[in-house]
Amino acid sequence: MSNQNQHGQSGNEANHSHHILPDSTAFKILGILLLLTVITVASAQVDLGSFNFALAMIIASLKASIVCMFFMGLKYDHKENTVIFSTSIIFMTIFMILTFGDLLTRGNVYVKLGEGELGSLTRPYKILPEGATAKKARFQKPWIATPEIIAAGKEQFLNQCISCHGPQGLGNGPASGGLNPKPRNFTSADNWKNGRKPSQIFGTLTKGLGGMPSFGSLGAEDRWTLVHYVRSLGPEGEKDSDEDLKKIGIDPNSTDGGAGNAEKVIPIDLAIEILSSPEKASAQPSKK
Amino acid sequence: MSNTAAAGHTLAHGDNYINHTPGIKSWLGTLDHKRIGMMYLYTILCFFLLGGIFALMIRWQLFSPDSHFVDHDKYNRLFTYHGAIMVFMVIIPLIPAAIGNFVLPMMLGAKDVAFPRWNLASYYVYLTGALFAASTLFLKGVDTGWTFYTPLSIRTQSSATWVLIGAFIMGFSSILTGLNFIVTIHKLRAPGLTWDRLPLFVWALYATSIIQVLATPVLAITLFLLILERTIGIGIFDPKLGGDPVLFQHFFWFYSHPAVYIMVLPGMGVISEIIPVFSRKPMFGYKAIAGATFGIALVSFVVWGHHLFVSGQSEFANFVFSLITMFVAVPTGVKVFSWLGTMYKGSIRFNVPMLYVFSFLFVFTIGGLTGVFLATVSVDVHLTDTYFVIAHFHYVMVGGTIFAFLGGLNYWFPKFSGKMYNETAGKIACLLVSLGFNVTFFPQFILGTLGMPRRYANYLPQFTTLNMVSTVGSWMIAAGLLLTAFYLWRALKNGKPAGDNPWGALTLEWQTPSPPPMENFLYDPVVTDGPYEYRGEKIKLGMYA
Amino acid sequence: MSSSVSTQPGEHHHAHHFSSAIAEFEACKQGMWIFLVTEVLFFSGMFLAYAVLRVFYPDMVHEAHHMLDWRLGALNTVVLLTSSLTMALAVSSAQRGNKERTVKMLAITLLCAFMFLIVKYIEYKAKWEHGTLPGHLFINEHLKLEKTPLFFSVYFVMTGIHGLHVIIGIGIIFHIMRRAARGDFSKDYFTPVEITGLYWHFVDLVWIYLFPLLYLIS
Repeated sequence: MSNQNQHGQSGNEANHSHHILPDSTAFKILGILLLLTVITVASAQVDLGSFNFALAMIIASLKASIVCMFFMGLKYDHKENTVIFSTSIIFMTIFMILTFGDLLTRGNVYVKLGEGELGSLTRPYKILPEGATAKKARFQKPWIATPEIIAAGKEQFLNQCISCHGPQGLGNGPASGGLNPKPRNFTSADNWKNGRKPSQIFGTLTKGLGGMPSFGSLGAEDRWTLVHYVRSLGPEGEKDSDEDLKKIGIDPNSTDGGAGNAEKVIPIDLAIEILSSPEKASAQPSKK
Repeated sequence: MSNTAAAGHTLAHGDNYINHTPGIKSWLGTLDHKRIGMMYLYTILCFFLLGGIFALMIRWQLFSPDSHFVDHDKYNRLFTYHGAIMVFMVIIPLIPAAIGNFVLPMMLGAKDVAFPRWNLASYYVYLTGALFAASTLFLKGVDTGWTFYTPLSIRTQSSATWVLIGAFIMGFSSILTGLNFIVTIHKLRAPGLTWDRLPLFVWALYATSIIQVLATPVLAITLFLLILERTIGIGIFDPKLGGDPVLFQHFFWFYSHPAVYIMVLPGMGVISEIIPVFSRKPMFGYKAIAGATFGIALVSFVVWGHHLFVSGQSEFANFVFSLITMFVAVPTGVKVFSWLGTMYKGSIRFNVPMLYVFSFLFVFTIGGLTGVFLATVSVDVHLTDTYFVIAHFHYVMVGGTIFAFLGGLNYWFPKFSGKMYNETAGKIACLLVSLGFNVTFFPQFILGTLGMPRRYANYLPQFTTLNMVSTVGSWMIAAGLLLTAFYLWRALKNGKPAGDNPWGALTLEWQTPSPPPMENFLYDPVVTDGPYEYRGEKIKLGMYA
Repeated sequence: MSSSVSTQPGEHHHAHHFSSAIAEFEACKQGMWIFLVTEVLFFSGMFLAYAVLRVFYPDMVHEAHHMLDWRLGALNTVVLLTSSLTMALAVSSAQRGNKERTVKMLAITLLCAFMFLIVKYIEYKAKWEHGTLPGHLFINEHLKLEKTPLFFSVYFVMTGIHGLHVIIGIGIIFHIMRRAARGDFSKDYFTPVEITGLYWHFVDLVWIYLFPLLYLIS
């Protein structure tokens, strides 16, 4: 490249790389743009269904390309700049398409509530006072074993526990292989770290112990059913005294199925329902 | 690329960019890319120190399972600041803005970047944003994690708004740097420096700049909307007002996943520079590496959904994003094998920069392979938000960026300063950092698979031993980095003159005095050959070669 | 690029690190194009948020959009398109070295920009009176459909940021106009006029999409 100076050929040289838009073309372009604007407005007055939107976008894009090509001079410019600007459109499209790839295939995560269209929550969900349970109690005093409770406990056990403790509660479930120490064998009364009273087992279930995770996310009542089922697998064990029960926050004389302080934690599924529907009256409508 | 007009001349020493004009004012108002690069370097290192102190505090808290060093609330702030500082203020600008600013124009044979004023502006924009965000340390802090997920970030009572504004401002700095670099690479290459003769570091910076320009604006609008969400409740990301919190994650990761490659690609570029120089061999698969750089940049834009596997994203989207994510492994593999191919049968010199390359390759490969675990939806569901994820991205980000940065710093230090550091100290530091890094983070893979969740101040007692090991490792890293700071500082004070080209490299930045003169070259360079043509070379090696 | 840089005294000499004025011009123009790329992606977030609303709450968006007066939107479209024309004419005048016409055209462009803002002000004022404001500020009681504030949030964010671009544009055009009047530009040097033109056309470009998206929903 030669030296640049201010006179003579350099002016021509500068002109070489610049296409000057003739005035007549510029006015014509404005005319076309205004015409397209009129078409946009007019077409919006006619109901074409979803095609309205597509048409509006097609016309807008046409207008935009005309502005880019002539007013912004891409038609006469280096291809480099056209490539650069097109890149932005491509990546904007990627952004939109992939995001909608999620949004449109999610299904009804937002359940429409209140108007009976899709029903309401499966449970009442007002924020509960401390100590109250979400469900109506099935058992009035779940800390006392009854055959019904043990039967309910067996059902829970098959759902929650057998992967580690095994179907017979021998501590030999399929997932026990990798665990050290081995899961508890419920048929034996030996070496229970927290003790084998119902209230003690209840505590273990709530807080977890060593490799055993907390099952606090289960309702207190469900945990009590498990306690009694697990105890029923081994020899008869020590009973709770009233003091033991009070220690974990239970009034031995109440009959509301109360679970004491343990139930300050609300079950996860209920929490999810509450979170996904902050106000019943103005909850999310479903899309479409 | 050796044939510059200056070849054969005795280069004049004396007047260089450091002593050209004296006084702090001449630095603060400088338009010279080398000085701006150095200002970036020092500023970023200050924030690196700050982020590092937070990291050490986190590890100290986790030394025992029920530590009371900080309470839960403070712990939330600790890891948020560690993450936000390291990501936004350190790793993203570290290599491009500091080393890149210094080296890129010289590699191109240019006198400066295309827009020197905007370059200086980008530094001050960065500084303003960083100080803005850091100032919240003296307010209520921020406790959302560096990802600012809604709705927590909308509701939190901490000073999140200020940090958001700070990150928003820093985004502009990143955009300006990227824009500047793209135009510089397009328009300011020396005569003869065709695209297939560009050093791979330039290719890497080019791809990085493109990502910066394309992705950072989306971060800007995301943070802007979130600020509005906090101030007037516009509701787009707020489920309570009818918005979609997962939409925020889409917005955020559309930037932040490519941002991972803003961090890693320049690191890979540094590695690509060091390997041929210290193997005395031409680059194996030059075009493959340059192509893979762009492959990674492109794929990085279509995989962000893998951060949302358990966020309520649809199963269909999970499937698509999981599938595409796997493809990242392909260009990455191409690079790793090309690097190994370059070293194969080379005459390798085990100088400090090359040692960091070995660490990089080891660590980055582990990081990359564990990434495949996390890209698999079924495995990711189990590993999400455990220490496995922590370990994975530290292997990639620290292994990919910090190791490459340290390698690059040791490689270009003689050029920056004209001085040579103590090799032995450098080797010990490299050993400490590399070993310490693995001691710190390898146990976290195990902790993660055992189910230890991230972002908690306490943990179950059975995780104690591995956490202790990890904490000890963090001290080793700290020791290594302090040693690095010390030996480099000593070299600056009274190091031996390094010579113009101590490593015998062929790229243009070495064909000029160290430290370089104000306009980089004493003669206008003309390029006649590729950057790594070491075959049958007769180049005069410097005294340390 | 082999030759050294010329440093003759003259009207404008290019920065020392460019080989020629043309190289400098091309670089500046490309810089502006890249900046516009960042602008597109900046706006893309807002367009996406808008699209999400339309898909999630089609009825609400349709009802709420009746609060916007499409005639004012159309008027502003015409105003901005006209300003784009005058800006293009200003650039071509500058390229020809016609100082007076450049200044005149920039002045008309400024006028259009102010007119756009005045119309925008009228629209915003109506929103203020109806209480159809974004987010928590929304106090309108006639729009009954759920989540209506969301529409106005998006409306205000999009038009607000676009309006901010207009205001910034006014500042830049004013500055360029003064420089043009001072005689800073010539046939050989008109870079600032040209890249300001690019910026201004982009502002127009965004409005071309905003108008049908916000005002014409059927």
